[in-house]
Amino acid sequence: MSRKDLADAVGVNPQTIGYLERGDYAPSVELALKIAGVFSAPVEMVFSLKPFASLAQIIRNKGEH
Amino acid sequence: MYVRSRRRPMGSAMSPFLARSLFVALYTLYPLGCILQLGPDTGDDLPILSVIGLLMVAASFLAFAVLAGSSFQRQAQEPDAKLDERELAQRNRAAYRAFAVLAGIVALGLLYMDLRMDFADRFPLWAPTEQAHWNALFWGAIILGLTLPAAFLAWETEPPLED
Repeated sequence: MSRKDLADAVGVNPQTIGYLERGDYAPSVELALKIAGVFSAPVEMVFSLKPFASLAQIIRNKGEH
Repeated sequence: MYVRSRRRPMGSAMSPFLARSLFVALYTLYPLGCILQLGPDTGDDLPILSVIGLLMVAASFLAFAVLAGSSFQRQAQEPDAKLDERELAQRNRAAYRAFAVLAGIVALGLLYMDLRMDFADRFPLWAPTEQAHWNALFWGAIILGLTLPAAFLAWETEPPLED
């Protein structure tokens, strides 16, 4: 899904999605819920107060256990 | 003032660097051009400084015309309903900063005029006296008032990520 597709789905400017990805903008609860709804995922899977671990980090952690 | 085109209803996409350059050009060329154009008449047949000043003012209006259709000017001037929450939050910050700067300029202008009156007998400070002077100040204030919020947005906005 492109930024534009997601932006159209939740009714924001595509640049706003870029701001969210960079962590430069904290969305309102309403927008966070809309975005989580697009992915049919709980909001805490999409947004977190702590930075998410990268995919490489997750794979590395799994390999160590 | 935002000039919407049919082809680009969201405003012409412009890099923040280009927009910043145009704002700097606008805010330097216009006052310098006015000073050169309205400076003392030297009585020359070809008032070269006046012509250069006029060209600088024309160039500043060109920068203004390009910026009038930009996405920054759209964000600064669109009705609230046409902006998303991030754009509104940025616009509110920019408008507050622009108001503070404009209020500061007005206060400094009044202070200057006050000092000029106080020290008129010792230091003959310049003041607008002719219609052309007031005309230049008026249009300068209009341009600044119309563009300053968008200028703050241009400095705040990061370049968009590639899709």
